[in-house]
Amino acid sequence: MSKIETNASRRKFLKQVAAGATTATAASIIPSRAFSANKQLTVGMNIPMTGDLAPWGLPGYYGCEIIARNINAAGGVTIGGETYDINIATYDHGYETDKAVQGMKKLVLEDDAKMVMMLGGATVAAVLPWATRRKVLTTTLLPSDITPDSNYLVATCESHPLYNVTGVEWLARNYPDAKTAVIVTNNDVEYGLQSTATYQAAFEVAGIEVVDTNLHGFDVTDFAPIVSSVLDKDPDIFCMATSFYVTPIMEQLYHQGFDGKIISCTLDFYHEIIAKTSVDFVNGTIFQFPDFDDPALADVNFPDPGGFDAAFRADHPNDWSAVAWEYPVILLNWIENAQAAGSVESEAVTAQMTGSEQNFVFGGGSWWGSQLWGLDNVLVGKWPVVVVEDGRARIQEYGDLAAWLDANNDVLIKHMKALGLRTV
Amino acid sequence: MELLIQTVVNGLIQSGFYALAAIGLVLVFGVMRVVNFAHGELVMIGAYTIWFVHAQNGVPYLITVVLAILLVTAIGLLMERFLFRPMTGDPLGGLICSIGMLFILQVIATYVGGEGPSKQVPPPFEGTLIILDSVRIPYQRVFSIAVAICALGILWYFLTRTKFGWAVRAVSMDREAAALQGISTIRVSMIAIGVGAAMAGLAGALMAPLTNINPHMGHNVIIAAFIVTIVGGVGSLPGAVIASVLYALFHTFVTTYFSGTIATISGLVIMVLVLIVRPTGIMGHRVSE
Repeated sequence: MSKIETNASRRKFLKQVAAGATTATAASIIPSRAFSANKQLTVGMNIPMTGDLAPWGLPGYYGCEIIARNINAAGGVTIGGETYDINIATYDHGYETDKAVQGMKKLVLEDDAKMVMMLGGATVAAVLPWATRRKVLTTTLLPSDITPDSNYLVATCESHPLYNVTGVEWLARNYPDAKTAVIVTNNDVEYGLQSTATYQAAFEVAGIEVVDTNLHGFDVTDFAPIVSSVLDKDPDIFCMATSFYVTPIMEQLYHQGFDGKIISCTLDFYHEIIAKTSVDFVNGTIFQFPDFDDPALADVNFPDPGGFDAAFRADHPNDWSAVAWEYPVILLNWIENAQAAGSVESEAVTAQMTGSEQNFVFGGGSWWGSQLWGLDNVLVGKWPVVVVEDGRARIQEYGDLAAWLDANNDVLIKHMKALGLRTV
Repeated sequence: MELLIQTVVNGLIQSGFYALAAIGLVLVFGVMRVVNFAHGELVMIGAYTIWFVHAQNGVPYLITVVLAILLVTAIGLLMERFLFRPMTGDPLGGLICSIGMLFILQVIATYVGGEGPSKQVPPPFEGTLIILDSVRIPYQRVFSIAVAICALGILWYFLTRTKFGWAVRAVSMDREAAALQGISTIRVSMIAIGVGAAMAGLAGALMAPLTNINPHMGHNVIIAAFIVTIVGGVGSLPGAVIASVLYALFHTFVTTYFSGTIATISGLVIMVLVLIVRPTGIMGHRVSE
């Protein structure tokens, strides 16, 4: 399939989805599926909807519900000559591996899910043998889940935590006097250590010295001593790699008088951080996940980002997080590839995906990953650098992740190995 | 030097939370011989009360603190009446009941607060106290440690200067002998768990603006409370207070100068060593069978 055809098809599809959004409000009042003659096309979400990691699962489901509602209101989606309504089937594994396996089997065998979206980490590792054997197209937000044999596992949206390098690049360019950094994050392999290695590599490439790395457990109830400890190194930059405790750490930074630059992978629920500190303090914080009402998103490959943002916040005013738009991006990308493949079956869609050029949500888009994990199943492209301005998250630029990785993957591998992380 | 002073201050503030959380555990075990695994969840309910009543519905913080204490006290009394009293003389049964209660309270919190992100409470006392130009203490923490000290002082007065307090201590020392002296062990049990739950509710209410609030936060609280209780001497209230200060300072220093993970591991190792070398803890005493 040529790129021109793919682009035309994608634009048409995105327009249809955007048009559907205008009638979705009315459609949401009436259960449209009850009147639809379309077949049901089930997509699975095997995610944490309860427990500590629910904020990185549940908002994604809410986002996919909005997308499905819009698609169905627009008359469904045509794949291989058949028109379908999208049905989102979920399984809450609570980030427990045995439940994740059970959920995968339930979604595939009972719900007939044609693709299953997952958060990543231990739960993906648990389902991978079965899913690979059955050739179930599965998606993850953590490309470090990919192995040389995981042919049906793809990361088509978030390439956690690789994109963090774009924030460091922007910081180094805009604040050249910032020369020392400390890193604080949780000490788990899936999130904390992967992010630590990435930030260490990015700081090294940017000529910034990391003067302390503080890895803490998940039992911390008071961040005062940790923050006191690292601030004693007098850093120019405070980096929270992928911390589950951004709010209490930010609160301590505020009270302990830190006035340098703050960079973080996520800044979920930053309005709560502002409420606990101040707008002036949070302003200038650099992170990687935009709000979707940002005007800078006008040209991305996502139908009506502003409308999506408004619909999400109307339905779930306090639940927006980094994953709110990521699972919808994965869903849209899958539909686009299923349309191109003319099939909803995993083998055909996977072959279509990995065998053709892809349009990443923020632009660019190339398959990557064999250098680190033995398989090019990670879709990388442009990634936004977001900064809090006047109390709102605003995109500053789109960094070129693919270019950074091509130029510096040896530095990244060095830091990953130093932390004992798996690489090929 | 600045870091040293800041660390001492951080440790002393943390000790207030540990002491409040541990006291209830000590009281309940001392009087009823039940290890209340749900004690951390009582702290959690106190914190959730602040989030729901104060942060979500605008009731003034200080009023909500009182509400949190009353609510958690009521839950404690219900636990005494319907869980622990029927299990009198059966420590294992009481322990299993408390584990069941732990899950029930977590589910209630989830039902009230919903799933999703940890809850946050903006600090009612804004600003930071700056001492010696470099040591910084948020006013919320100053308030918390002041209230914790007052609460412990009132508890000390209650236990040492009132008849109810003497009765609690008597039952704690020898339940049968106290009963032979005409002390109502049922009433004393109610007082013990009521006071312990009230302290847990207060701890949760004070912690709420300073930490992530979620249904599982009691887990970390109970671990610290167990360490403090065992090091201080199981059943010893003065021991729990002294151990709280020592453990908080130790944990804070190790976290600051080494790492939080080493601090937690070291704390657990100390607990094990105390159990091996001095099972009675700092202030505990042997009880003949």
